[in-house]
Amino acid sequence: MNKGVDGSALYDRLIVERARSPLFSGRLEQPDITGEGKNPLCGDKTRVELTLDQDHISLVRHHTRGCAICQAAADLMAERITGLKPAEAQTLSRQFSAMLVAADVTSASDGGTEQPFALGPLEAFAPLQAHRARIRCAELPWVALKEALSHVDV
Amino acid sequence: MSATVEKRPAHQLDSAAIRQQFPILSQQVHDRPLVFLDSAASAQKPNAVIDCMADTMRTQYANIHRGLHWMSERTTEAYEGVRDVVAAFLNAPSREEIVFTRNSTEAINLVAHSFGALLKPGQAVVISEMEHHANLVPWQMLRDRAGIELRIAPITDEGDLDLDALRDLLADGQVALVAVTHMSNVLGSVTPARQIADMAHEAGAQVLFDGSQFVVHRKTDVQALGADFYTFTGHKLYGPTGIGVLWARKALLDAMPPFMGGGDMISTVTFERSTWAHVPHKFEAGTPAIIETIALGAAIAWIEQIGMEAVAAHEAELTTYALNRLADVPGLRVVGAPHDRGGVISFVMDDVHPHDIATLLDRNGIAVRAGHHCAEPLMRRLGLTATARASFGVYTIPSEIDALAETLVRIRNFFV
Repeated sequence: MNKGVDGSALYDRLIVERARSPLFSGRLEQPDITGEGKNPLCGDKTRVELTLDQDHISLVRHHTRGCAICQAAADLMAERITGLKPAEAQTLSRQFSAMLVAADVTSASDGGTEQPFALGPLEAFAPLQAHRARIRCAELPWVALKEALSHVDV
Repeated sequence: MSATVEKRPAHQLDSAAIRQQFPILSQQVHDRPLVFLDSAASAQKPNAVIDCMADTMRTQYANIHRGLHWMSERTTEAYEGVRDVVAAFLNAPSREEIVFTRNSTEAINLVAHSFGALLKPGQAVVISEMEHHANLVPWQMLRDRAGIELRIAPITDEGDLDLDALRDLLADGQVALVAVTHMSNVLGSVTPARQIADMAHEAGAQVLFDGSQFVVHRKTDVQALGADFYTFTGHKLYGPTGIGVLWARKALLDAMPPFMGGGDMISTVTFERSTWAHVPHKFEAGTPAIIETIALGAAIAWIEQIGMEAVAAHEAELTTYALNRLADVPGLRVVGAPHDRGGVISFVMDDVHPHDIATLLDRNGIAVRAGHHCAEPLMRRLGLTATARASFGVYTIPSEIDALAETLVRIRNFFV
Protein backbone atom coordinates (compact mmCIF):
# COMPACT_ATOMS: atom_id res chain seq x y z
CA MET A 1 0.00 0.00 0.00
CA ASN A 2 1.09 3.55 -0.58
CA LYS A 3 2.35 5.61 2.32
CA GLY A 4 -0.19 8.41 2.04
CA VAL A 5 -3.88 8.29 2.57
CA ASP A 6 -6.03 8.69 -0.50
CA GLY A 7 -8.00 11.71 0.54
CA SER A 8 -6.03 14.58 -0.90
CA ALA A 9 -8.62 15.11 -3.62
CA LEU A 10 -11.29 15.86 -1.04
CA TYR A 11 -9.24 17.24 1.81
CA ASP A 12 -7.39 20.11 0.24
CA ARG A 13 -4.39 21.23 2.30
CA LEU A 14 -6.22 24.51 2.99
CA ILE A 15 -9.15 22.61 4.47
CA VAL A 16 -6.93 20.54 6.73
CA GLU A 17 -4.99 23.62 7.87
CA ARG A 18 -8.06 25.69 8.63
CA ALA A 19 -9.70 22.80 10.46
CA ARG A 20 -6.60 22.39 12.59
CA SER A 21 -5.82 26.09 13.10
CA PRO A 22 -8.85 28.25 12.39
CA LEU A 23 -8.28 32.00 12.05
CA PHE A 24 -11.83 33.15 12.76
CA SER A 25 -13.03 30.90 15.55
CA GLY A 26 -14.24 32.37 18.81
CA ARG A 27 -16.85 34.78 20.08
CA LEU A 28 -17.54 38.48 19.58
CA GLU A 29 -18.17 40.58 22.66
CA GLN A 30 -21.08 42.45 21.12
CA PRO A 31 -22.28 40.84 17.92
CA ASP A 32 -25.02 42.62 16.01
CA ILE A 33 -26.49 39.41 14.62
CA THR A 34 -25.99 35.71 15.24
CA GLY A 35 -27.16 32.47 13.66
CA GLU A 36 -26.88 28.77 14.39
CA GLY A 37 -26.72 25.66 12.26
CA LYS A 38 -27.18 22.11 13.49
CA ASN A 39 -26.93 18.81 11.67
CA PRO A 40 -29.07 16.29 13.56
CA LEU A 41 -27.56 13.43 11.57
CA CYS A 42 -24.06 13.87 12.93
CA GLY A 43 -24.42 16.30 15.83
CA ASP A 44 -22.30 18.99 14.18
CA LYS A 45 -23.05 22.51 15.37
CA THR A 46 -21.89 25.95 14.40
CA ARG A 47 -22.68 29.41 15.69
CA VAL A 48 -21.84 32.45 13.58
CA GLU A 49 -21.55 35.94 15.05
CA LEU A 50 -21.27 39.12 13.00
CA THR A 51 -20.93 42.85 13.50
CA LEU A 52 -22.18 45.26 10.88
CA ASP A 53 -20.45 48.56 10.18
CA GLN A 54 -22.99 50.72 8.37
CA ASP A 55 -24.09 48.31 5.68
CA HIS A 56 -21.03 46.06 5.57
CA ILE A 57 -20.14 42.92 7.48
CA SER A 58 -17.18 44.10 9.51
CA LEU A 59 -16.34 41.23 11.87
CA VAL A 60 -17.16 37.52 11.75
CA ARG A 61 -16.44 34.80 14.29
CA HIS A 62 -17.66 31.22 14.41
CA HIS A 63 -17.87 28.62 17.13
CA THR A 64 -17.92 25.23 15.42
CA ARG A 65 -18.06 21.69 16.72
CA GLY A 66 -17.77 19.37 13.79
CA CYS A 67 -15.72 17.58 11.20
CA ALA A 68 -12.82 19.05 9.28
CA ILE A 69 -15.04 20.00 6.34
CA CYS A 70 -17.45 21.88 8.59
CA GLN A 71 -14.70 23.61 10.59
CA ALA A 72 -12.85 24.76 7.51
CA ALA A 73 -16.05 25.81 5.74
CA ALA A 74 -16.96 28.03 8.70
CA ASP A 75 -13.52 29.57 8.83
CA LEU A 76 -13.18 30.21 5.11
CA MET A 77 -16.73 31.58 4.99
CA ALA A 78 -15.90 34.01 7.80
CA GLU A 79 -12.85 35.18 5.91
CA ARG A 80 -14.61 35.51 2.57
CA ILE A 81 -17.70 37.41 3.73
CA THR A 82 -15.85 39.97 5.84
CA GLY A 83 -16.28 43.32 4.12
CA LEU A 84 -19.25 42.27 2.00
CA LYS A 85 -22.74 43.73 2.20
CA PRO A 86 -25.35 41.27 3.56
CA ALA A 87 -26.97 40.98 0.12
CA GLU A 88 -23.59 40.19 -1.40
CA ALA A 89 -22.96 37.50 1.20
CA GLN A 90 -26.28 35.93 0.30
CA THR A 91 -25.39 35.92 -3.37
CA LEU A 92 -22.08 34.29 -2.51
CA SER A 93 -23.92 31.70 -0.42
CA ARG A 94 -26.05 30.73 -3.43
CA GLN A 95 -22.97 30.51 -5.63
CA PHE A 96 -21.23 28.32 -3.07
CA SER A 97 -24.20 25.94 -2.88
CA ALA A 98 -24.41 25.83 -6.66
CA MET A 99 -20.74 24.94 -6.88
CA LEU A 100 -21.21 22.05 -4.42
CA VAL A 101 -23.84 20.46 -6.62
CA ALA A 102 -21.91 21.42 -9.77
CA ALA A 103 -24.79 23.60 -10.97
CA ASP A 104 -24.38 26.52 -13.31
CA VAL A 105 -23.48 29.41 -11.03
CA THR A 106 -25.31 32.07 -13.02
CA SER A 107 -28.53 30.05 -12.89
CA ALA A 108 -28.37 30.18 -9.12
CA SER A 109 -28.60 33.96 -9.10
CA ASP A 110 -31.78 35.98 -9.33
CA GLY A 111 -32.51 36.41 -13.00
CA GLY A 112 -28.93 37.18 -13.87
CA THR A 113 -29.06 40.64 -12.29
CA GLU A 114 -26.58 39.73 -9.55
CA GLN A 115 -22.90 40.21 -10.07
CA PRO A 116 -21.18 36.88 -9.52
CA PHE A 117 -18.43 36.92 -6.90
CA ALA A 118 -15.16 35.11 -7.04
CA LEU A 119 -15.41 32.09 -4.75
CA GLY A 120 -11.65 32.19 -4.29
CA PRO A 121 -10.41 29.83 -1.57
CA LEU A 122 -13.96 28.48 -1.20
CA GLU A 123 -13.29 26.53 -4.38
CA ALA A 124 -11.31 24.14 -2.17
CA PHE A 125 -14.68 22.52 -1.45
CA ALA A 126 -15.44 21.71 -5.10
CA PRO A 127 -14.40 18.03 -4.75
CA LEU A 128 -17.43 17.58 -2.46
CA GLN A 129 -19.40 17.32 -5.70
CA ALA A 130 -18.37 13.65 -5.66
CA HIS A 131 -19.25 13.22 -1.95
CA ARG A 132 -22.89 14.18 -1.73
CA ALA A 133 -23.25 12.87 1.82
CA ARG A 134 -20.69 15.46 2.97
CA ILE A 135 -22.11 18.53 1.19
CA ARG A 136 -24.23 19.43 4.19
CA CYS A 137 -21.05 19.58 6.30
CA ALA A 138 -19.78 22.45 4.14
CA GLU A 139 -23.17 24.14 3.98
CA LEU A 140 -23.82 24.16 7.73
CA PRO A 141 -22.00 27.48 8.42
CA TRP A 142 -23.88 29.06 5.53
CA VAL A 143 -27.16 27.89 7.07
CA ALA A 144 -26.10 29.68 10.25
CA LEU A 145 -25.18 32.77 8.22
CA LYS A 146 -28.56 32.75 6.52
CA GLU A 147 -30.27 32.70 9.90
CA ALA A 148 -28.09 35.59 11.10
CA LEU A 149 -28.79 37.66 8.00
CA SER A 150 -32.52 37.04 8.32
CA HIS A 151 -32.37 39.59 11.16
CA VAL A 152 -31.30 42.45 8.86
CA ASP A 153 -33.11 44.12 6.00
CA VAL A 154 -31.23 43.35 2.86
CA MET B 1 4.68 -4.73 14.81
CA SER B 2 1.85 -7.11 15.55
CA ALA B 3 0.78 -10.67 14.93
CA THR B 4 0.58 -11.75 11.34
CA VAL B 5 -2.16 -13.84 9.86
CA GLU B 6 -0.03 -16.98 9.76
CA LYS B 7 0.80 -16.88 13.46
CA ARG B 8 -2.80 -16.80 14.53
CA PRO B 9 -4.42 -20.06 15.56
CA ALA B 10 -6.60 -21.60 12.92
CA HIS B 11 -10.29 -21.19 13.55
CA GLN B 12 -12.98 -23.50 12.37
CA LEU B 13 -14.25 -21.31 9.56
CA ASP B 14 -12.95 -21.66 6.05
CA SER B 15 -12.85 -17.91 5.42
CA ALA B 16 -11.78 -18.20 1.81
CA ALA B 17 -14.65 -20.53 0.97
CA ILE B 18 -17.12 -18.32 2.84
CA ARG B 19 -15.93 -15.16 1.10
CA GLN B 20 -16.38 -16.79 -2.28
CA GLN B 21 -20.06 -17.15 -1.52
CA PHE B 22 -20.46 -13.35 -1.23
CA PRO B 23 -20.26 -11.92 -4.76
CA ILE B 24 -20.16 -8.32 -3.50
CA LEU B 25 -16.83 -8.91 -1.75
CA SER B 26 -15.07 -9.01 -5.12
CA GLN B 27 -16.24 -5.45 -5.90
CA GLN B 28 -13.82 -2.56 -5.96
CA VAL B 29 -14.55 0.75 -4.26
CA HIS B 30 -12.53 3.78 -5.37
CA ASP B 31 -10.27 1.32 -7.23
CA ARG B 32 -9.53 -0.59 -4.02
CA PRO B 33 -10.80 -4.00 -2.94
CA LEU B 34 -13.88 -3.57 -0.78
CA VAL B 35 -13.15 -4.01 2.93
CA PHE B 36 -16.62 -4.21 4.43
CA LEU B 37 -16.57 -3.48 8.16
CA ASP B 38 -20.17 -2.30 8.49
CA SER B 39 -22.01 -5.58 8.97
CA ALA B 40 -23.66 -4.38 12.19
CA ALA B 41 -25.61 -1.88 10.09
CA SER B 42 -26.51 -4.51 7.50
CA ALA B 43 -24.70 -7.66 6.45
CA GLN B 44 -23.84 -8.67 2.90
CA LYS B 45 -25.73 -11.53 1.25
CA PRO B 46 -24.42 -14.99 0.30
CA ASN B 47 -25.38 -16.67 -2.97
CA ALA B 48 -27.69 -18.98 -1.01
CA VAL B 49 -29.89 -15.98 -0.16
CA ILE B 50 -29.55 -14.21 -3.51
CA ASP B 51 -30.39 -17.40 -5.40
CA CYS B 52 -33.27 -18.24 -3.09
CA MET B 53 -34.95 -14.89 -3.77
CA ALA B 54 -34.45 -15.17 -7.52
CA ASP B 55 -35.51 -18.84 -7.62
CA THR B 56 -38.64 -18.08 -5.62
CA MET B 57 -39.65 -15.41 -8.12
CA ARG B 58 -38.64 -17.57 -11.08
CA THR B 59 -40.22 -20.86 -10.07
CA GLN B 60 -42.46 -20.78 -7.03
CA TYR B 61 -44.37 -17.61 -6.32
CA ALA B 62 -47.98 -16.65 -5.62
CA ASN B 63 -49.83 -14.99 -2.76
CA ILE B 64 -50.13 -17.16 0.32
CA HIS B 65 -52.81 -18.44 2.71
CA ARG B 66 -55.73 -17.64 0.44
CA GLY B 67 -55.08 -19.29 -2.89
CA LEU B 68 -56.70 -22.58 -3.87
CA HIS B 69 -54.21 -23.24 -6.63
CA TRP B 70 -51.00 -25.22 -6.72
CA MET B 71 -48.62 -22.24 -6.83
CA SER B 72 -50.26 -20.59 -3.84
CA GLU B 73 -50.20 -23.80 -1.83
CA ARG B 74 -46.51 -24.44 -2.56
CA THR B 75 -45.59 -20.82 -1.72
CA THR B 76 -47.61 -21.02 1.50
CA GLU B 77 -45.71 -24.17 2.44
CA ALA B 78 -42.37 -22.46 1.79
CA TYR B 79 -43.40 -19.36 3.76
CA GLU B 80 -44.83 -21.29 6.69
CA GLY B 81 -41.82 -23.61 6.65
CA VAL B 82 -39.67 -20.66 7.64
CA ARG B 83 -41.67 -20.33 10.86
CA ASP B 84 -40.36 -23.78 11.82
CA VAL B 85 -36.82 -22.79 10.79
CA VAL B 86 -36.95 -19.64 12.93
CA ALA B 87 -38.53 -21.49 15.87
CA ALA B 88 -35.67 -24.01 15.79
CA PHE B 89 -33.09 -21.20 15.35
CA LEU B 90 -34.32 -19.53 18.56
CA ASN B 91 -35.21 -22.80 20.30
CA ALA B 92 -38.75 -21.48 20.65
CA PRO B 93 -41.22 -23.98 22.14
CA SER B 94 -43.75 -23.46 19.35
CA ARG B 95 -43.86 -22.30 15.73
CA GLU B 96 -47.02 -20.34 16.58
CA GLU B 97 -44.92 -18.02 18.70
CA ILE B 98 -43.01 -16.73 15.66
CA VAL B 99 -44.48 -13.51 14.24
CA PHE B 100 -43.01 -12.12 11.03
CA THR B 101 -42.55 -8.36 10.96
CA ARG B 102 -40.76 -5.93 8.68
CA ASN B 103 -37.74 -5.64 10.96
CA SER B 104 -36.80 -5.51 14.64
CA THR B 105 -38.10 -1.94 14.87
CA GLU B 106 -41.55 -3.09 13.80
CA ALA B 107 -41.40 -6.06 16.18
CA ILE B 108 -40.70 -3.74 19.13
CA ASN B 109 -43.42 -1.33 17.98
CA LEU B 110 -45.80 -4.28 17.86
CA VAL B 111 -45.01 -5.13 21.48
CA ALA B 112 -45.21 -1.45 22.54
CA HIS B 113 -48.61 -1.20 20.88
CA SER B 114 -50.21 -4.52 21.73
CA PHE B 115 -48.57 -5.47 25.03
CA GLY B 116 -48.66 -1.76 25.82
CA ALA B 117 -52.44 -1.85 25.44
CA LEU B 118 -52.58 -4.18 28.46
CA LEU B 119 -50.68 -1.76 30.73
CA LYS B 120 -52.31 0.59 33.21
CA PRO B 121 -51.26 4.17 33.99
CA GLY B 122 -48.64 4.10 36.72
CA GLN B 123 -47.03 0.89 35.52
CA ALA B 124 -43.52 1.19 34.17
CA VAL B 125 -41.28 -0.04 31.36
CA VAL B 126 -37.52 -0.20 31.95
CA ILE B 127 -35.02 0.22 29.11
CA SER B 128 -31.26 0.82 29.34
CA GLU B 129 -29.00 3.74 28.54
CA MET B 130 -27.49 1.87 25.61
CA GLU B 131 -30.60 1.18 23.56
CA HIS B 132 -30.90 1.74 19.84
CA HIS B 133 -33.62 4.31 19.10
CA ALA B 134 -35.73 1.33 17.96
CA ASN B 135 -35.99 0.19 21.60
CA LEU B 136 -36.45 3.67 23.00
CA VAL B 137 -38.78 5.77 20.85
CA PRO B 138 -41.68 3.22 20.79
CA TRP B 139 -41.65 3.23 24.61
CA GLN B 140 -41.63 7.01 24.76
CA MET B 141 -44.62 7.00 22.43
CA LEU B 142 -46.37 4.45 24.68
CA ARG B 143 -45.54 6.55 27.76
CA ASP B 144 -47.09 9.65 26.19
CA ARG B 145 -50.13 7.72 24.98
CA ALA B 146 -50.85 5.47 27.95
CA GLY B 147 -49.51 7.34 30.96
CA ILE B 148 -46.97 4.71 31.88
CA GLU B 149 -43.58 5.54 33.33
CA LEU B 150 -40.39 4.98 31.34
CA ARG B 151 -37.37 4.16 33.49
CA ILE B 152 -33.80 4.14 32.26
CA ALA B 153 -31.33 1.61 33.65
CA PRO B 154 -27.83 3.13 33.65
CA ILE B 155 -24.69 1.52 32.27
CA THR B 156 -21.25 1.49 33.86
CA ASP B 157 -18.36 3.48 32.42
CA GLU B 158 -17.12 0.24 30.88
CA GLY B 159 -20.37 -0.11 28.96
CA ASP B 160 -22.06 -2.89 30.91
CA LEU B 161 -25.61 -2.75 32.18
CA ASP B 162 -25.58 -1.70 35.85
CA LEU B 163 -27.45 -4.62 37.41
CA ASP B 164 -27.57 -3.10 40.91
CA ALA B 165 -29.25 -0.03 39.50
CA LEU B 166 -31.64 -2.22 37.50
CA ARG B 167 -32.58 -4.05 40.71
CA ASP B 168 -33.39 -0.71 42.35
CA LEU B 169 -35.59 0.29 39.41
CA LEU B 170 -37.54 -2.96 39.78
CA ALA B 171 -37.95 -2.72 43.55
CA ASP B 172 -41.37 -1.05 43.75
CA GLY B 173 -43.05 -3.82 41.74
CA GLN B 174 -44.57 -1.35 39.26
CA VAL B 175 -42.48 -2.51 36.30
CA ALA B 176 -44.43 -4.49 33.71
CA LEU B 177 -41.63 -4.93 31.21
CA VAL B 178 -37.83 -4.76 31.04
CA ALA B 179 -36.85 -4.16 27.39
CA VAL B 180 -33.11 -4.18 26.79
CA THR B 181 -30.62 -4.98 24.10
CA HIS B 182 -29.00 -8.40 24.06
CA MET B 183 -25.93 -6.83 22.42
CA SER B 184 -25.22 -3.12 22.02
CA ASN B 185 -24.84 -1.92 18.43
CA VAL B 186 -22.40 0.76 19.62
CA LEU B 187 -20.32 -0.81 22.38
CA GLY B 188 -20.65 -4.46 21.44
CA SER B 189 -21.64 -5.21 25.06
CA VAL B 190 -23.41 -8.53 25.45
CA THR B 191 -25.89 -8.18 28.29
CA PRO B 192 -26.34 -10.96 30.91
CA ALA B 193 -29.76 -11.87 29.61
CA ARG B 194 -30.51 -14.76 31.95
CA GLN B 195 -29.70 -12.66 35.01
CA ILE B 196 -31.80 -9.78 33.72
CA ALA B 197 -34.70 -12.13 33.00
CA ASP B 198 -34.50 -13.63 36.49
CA MET B 199 -34.44 -10.19 38.11
CA ALA B 200 -37.37 -9.03 35.99
CA HIS B 201 -39.43 -12.11 36.76
CA GLU B 202 -38.75 -11.87 40.49
CA ALA B 203 -40.18 -8.35 40.33
CA GLY B 204 -43.22 -9.54 38.39
CA ALA B 205 -42.09 -8.02 35.08
CA GLN B 206 -41.83 -9.54 31.61
CA VAL B 207 -38.59 -9.20 29.68
CA LEU B 208 -37.89 -8.31 26.04
CA PHE B 209 -34.50 -8.65 24.42
CA ASP B 210 -33.61 -6.76 21.25
CA GLY B 211 -31.50 -9.46 19.61
CA SER B 212 -30.78 -7.61 16.35
CA GLN B 213 -27.02 -7.74 16.95
CA PHE B 214 -26.78 -10.83 19.14
CA VAL B 215 -28.41 -13.46 16.91
CA VAL B 216 -25.82 -12.75 14.21
CA HIS B 217 -22.91 -13.63 16.45
CA ARG B 218 -23.97 -16.29 18.95
CA LYS B 219 -26.38 -19.17 19.44
CA THR B 220 -29.70 -17.87 20.77
CA ASP B 221 -31.96 -19.96 22.99
CA VAL B 222 -34.99 -18.00 24.15
CA GLN B 223 -35.93 -20.69 26.66
CA ALA B 224 -32.49 -20.85 28.26
CA LEU B 225 -32.48 -17.04 28.42
CA GLY B 226 -35.82 -16.98 30.17
CA ALA B 227 -37.08 -14.41 27.66
CA ASP B 228 -40.71 -13.40 27.23
CA PHE B 229 -40.19 -11.42 24.02
CA TYR B 230 -37.27 -11.59 21.59
CA THR B 231 -36.79 -9.60 18.38
CA PHE B 232 -34.33 -9.68 15.50
CA THR B 233 -34.06 -8.57 11.89
CA GLY B 234 -33.20 -10.57 8.79
CA HIS B 235 -30.89 -8.17 7.00
CA LYS B 236 -28.21 -8.21 9.69
CA LEU B 237 -28.32 -12.03 9.60
CA TYR B 238 -27.18 -12.25 5.95
CA GLY B 239 -30.83 -12.28 4.87
CA PRO B 240 -32.91 -9.77 2.93
CA THR B 241 -34.25 -6.43 4.14
CA GLY B 242 -37.94 -6.14 4.94
CA ILE B 243 -38.23 -9.20 7.16
CA GLY B 244 -37.90 -9.30 10.93
CA VAL B 245 -39.06 -11.58 13.71
CA LEU B 246 -40.90 -11.22 16.97
CA TRP B 247 -40.88 -14.25 19.22
CA ALA B 248 -43.13 -14.09 22.27
CA ARG B 249 -44.61 -16.61 24.68
CA LYS B 250 -47.94 -17.80 23.33
CA ALA B 251 -49.88 -16.76 26.44
CA LEU B 252 -48.69 -13.19 25.90
CA LEU B 253 -49.52 -13.20 22.19
CA ASP B 254 -52.97 -14.61 22.95
CA ALA B 255 -53.65 -11.88 25.48
CA MET B 256 -52.44 -9.03 23.26
CA PRO B 257 -54.78 -7.22 20.85
CA PRO B 258 -53.74 -7.04 17.17
CA PHE B 259 -51.23 -4.46 15.94
CA MET B 260 -52.46 -3.66 12.45
CA GLY B 261 -55.80 -4.55 10.91
CA GLY B 262 -56.40 -5.89 7.43
CA GLY B 263 -56.48 -9.03 5.40
CA ASP B 264 -55.03 -12.31 6.69
CA MET B 265 -55.30 -11.35 10.38
CA ILE B 266 -59.05 -11.90 10.75
CA SER B 267 -61.32 -14.81 11.45
CA THR B 268 -64.62 -13.24 10.31
CA VAL B 269 -65.46 -9.72 9.19
CA THR B 270 -68.84 -7.99 9.07
CA PHE B 271 -69.54 -4.28 8.93
CA GLU B 272 -70.43 -4.45 12.61
CA ARG B 273 -67.34 -6.22 13.90
CA SER B 274 -64.43 -8.49 13.13
CA THR B 275 -62.86 -11.35 15.00
CA TRP B 276 -59.21 -12.18 14.93
CA ALA B 277 -57.28 -15.06 13.52
CA HIS B 278 -55.27 -17.20 15.90
CA VAL B 279 -51.68 -16.31 16.68
CA PRO B 280 -49.37 -15.70 14.95
CA HIS B 281 -51.63 -14.67 12.05
CA LYS B 282 -53.45 -12.17 14.27
CA PHE B 283 -50.29 -10.08 14.05
CA GLU B 284 -49.59 -10.48 10.33
CA ALA B 285 -51.99 -8.17 8.49
CA GLY B 286 -51.89 -7.93 4.73
CA THR B 287 -49.69 -9.71 2.20
CA PRO B 288 -46.40 -10.23 4.03
CA ALA B 289 -42.86 -10.09 2.66
CA ILE B 290 -43.22 -13.53 1.09
CA ILE B 291 -39.99 -13.64 -0.90
CA GLU B 292 -37.96 -12.08 1.89
CA THR B 293 -39.37 -14.49 4.47
CA ILE B 294 -38.52 -17.50 2.35
CA ALA B 295 -35.02 -16.11 1.84
CA LEU B 296 -34.65 -15.52 5.59
CA GLY B 297 -35.15 -19.25 5.89
CA ALA B 298 -32.32 -19.73 3.41
CA ALA B 299 -30.09 -17.34 5.37
CA ILE B 300 -30.69 -19.19 8.64
CA ALA B 301 -30.10 -22.57 6.98
CA TRP B 302 -26.88 -21.17 5.53
CA ILE B 303 -25.50 -19.79 8.80
CA GLU B 304 -26.50 -22.93 10.71
CA GLN B 305 -24.60 -25.01 8.20
CA ILE B 306 -21.50 -23.08 9.24
CA GLY B 307 -22.60 -23.39 12.86
CA MET B 308 -23.16 -20.58 15.35
CA GLU B 309 -20.36 -21.89 17.55
CA ALA B 310 -17.85 -21.57 14.73
CA VAL B 311 -19.23 -18.11 13.90
CA ALA B 312 -18.89 -17.05 17.54
CA ALA B 313 -15.34 -18.38 17.78
CA HIS B 314 -14.32 -16.68 14.52
CA GLU B 315 -15.70 -13.33 15.63
CA ALA B 316 -14.30 -13.54 19.15
CA GLU B 317 -10.87 -14.12 17.67
CA LEU B 318 -11.27 -11.27 15.18
CA THR B 319 -12.45 -8.92 17.90
CA THR B 320 -9.47 -9.68 20.11
CA TYR B 321 -7.16 -9.24 17.12
CA ALA B 322 -8.81 -5.93 16.20
CA LEU B 323 -8.59 -4.56 19.75
CA ASN B 324 -4.87 -5.37 19.75
CA ARG B 325 -4.27 -3.78 16.35
CA LEU B 326 -6.28 -0.66 17.19
CA ALA B 327 -4.33 -0.26 20.43
CA ASP B 328 -1.29 0.43 18.21
CA VAL B 329 -2.93 3.35 16.41
CA PRO B 330 -1.70 6.63 17.95
CA GLY B 331 -4.45 8.86 19.34
CA LEU B 332 -7.15 6.21 18.95
CA ARG B 333 -9.44 5.33 21.84
CA VAL B 334 -11.81 2.37 21.78
CA VAL B 335 -15.13 3.35 23.38
CA GLY B 336 -16.15 1.12 26.27
CA ALA B 337 -14.59 -2.00 27.69
CA PRO B 338 -17.53 -4.29 28.32
CA HIS B 339 -17.16 -7.54 30.22
CA ASP B 340 -18.33 -9.52 27.19
CA ARG B 341 -17.98 -7.92 23.73
CA GLY B 342 -19.35 -9.12 20.41
CA GLY B 343 -17.84 -8.19 17.03
CA VAL B 344 -18.54 -4.45 17.24
CA ILE B 345 -15.90 -1.83 18.08
CA SER B 346 -16.60 1.90 18.32
CA PHE B 347 -13.66 4.27 18.46
CA VAL B 348 -12.71 7.92 18.42
CA MET B 349 -9.45 9.60 17.48
CA ASP B 350 -7.88 12.73 18.95
CA ASP B 351 -8.22 15.65 16.56
CA VAL B 352 -10.00 13.68 13.84
CA HIS B 353 -13.79 13.74 13.59
CA PRO B 354 -15.50 10.35 13.01
CA HIS B 355 -17.01 11.57 9.74
CA ASP B 356 -13.61 12.52 8.41
CA ILE B 357 -12.33 9.08 9.49
CA ALA B 358 -15.19 7.37 7.66
CA THR B 359 -14.77 9.41 4.49
CA LEU B 360 -11.02 8.80 4.35
CA LEU B 361 -11.40 5.09 5.10
CA ASP B 362 -13.96 4.95 2.30
CA ARG B 363 -11.51 6.58 -0.11
CA ASN B 364 -9.32 3.57 0.69
CA GLY B 365 -12.07 1.06 0.07
CA ILE B 366 -12.89 0.50 3.76
CA ALA B 367 -16.54 0.80 4.78
CA VAL B 368 -17.26 1.70 8.42
CA ARG B 369 -20.15 3.51 10.06
CA ALA B 370 -19.75 6.93 11.65
CA GLY B 371 -22.26 8.95 13.61
CA HIS B 372 -24.46 8.39 16.63
CA HIS B 373 -25.54 4.91 15.45
CA CYS B 374 -29.20 5.59 16.28
CA ALA B 375 -28.23 5.79 19.95
CA GLU B 376 -28.10 9.52 20.75
CA PRO B 377 -28.76 9.19 24.51
CA LEU B 378 -25.89 6.69 24.75
CA MET B 379 -23.60 9.14 22.94
CA ARG B 380 -24.55 11.80 25.49
CA ARG B 381 -23.88 9.36 28.34
CA LEU B 382 -20.43 8.71 26.88
CA GLY B 383 -19.78 12.43 26.42
CA LEU B 384 -19.45 12.05 22.66
CA THR B 385 -21.40 13.30 19.66
CA ALA B 386 -20.31 10.53 17.33
CA THR B 387 -17.97 7.58 16.96
CA ALA B 388 -16.57 5.55 14.11
CA ARG B 389 -17.56 1.89 14.28
CA ALA B 390 -16.02 -1.20 12.76
CA SER B 391 -18.12 -4.35 12.88
CA PHE B 392 -17.36 -7.87 11.78
CA GLY B 393 -19.16 -10.72 10.07
CA VAL B 394 -18.46 -14.30 9.04
CA TYR B 395 -16.58 -13.04 5.98
CA THR B 396 -14.28 -10.65 7.85
CA ILE B 397 -10.62 -11.68 7.78
CA PRO B 398 -7.59 -10.47 9.77
CA SER B 399 -5.98 -8.81 6.73
CA GLU B 400 -9.00 -6.49 6.57
CA ILE B 401 -8.38 -5.46 10.16
CA ASP B 402 -4.73 -4.88 9.25
CA ALA B 403 -5.90 -2.62 6.40
CA LEU B 404 -8.14 -0.73 8.83
CA ALA B 405 -5.39 -0.22 11.41
CA GLU B 406 -2.78 0.79 8.84
CA THR B 407 -5.11 3.25 7.12
CA LEU B 408 -6.11 4.77 10.47
CA VAL B 409 -2.44 5.47 11.21
CA ARG B 410 -2.14 7.28 7.87
CA ILE B 411 -5.37 9.23 8.49
CA ARG B 412 -4.02 10.36 11.83
CA ASN B 413 -0.79 11.49 10.18
CA PHE B 414 -2.77 13.32 7.52
CA PHE B 415 -4.59 15.48 10.06
CA VAL B 416 -2.08 15.92 12.85
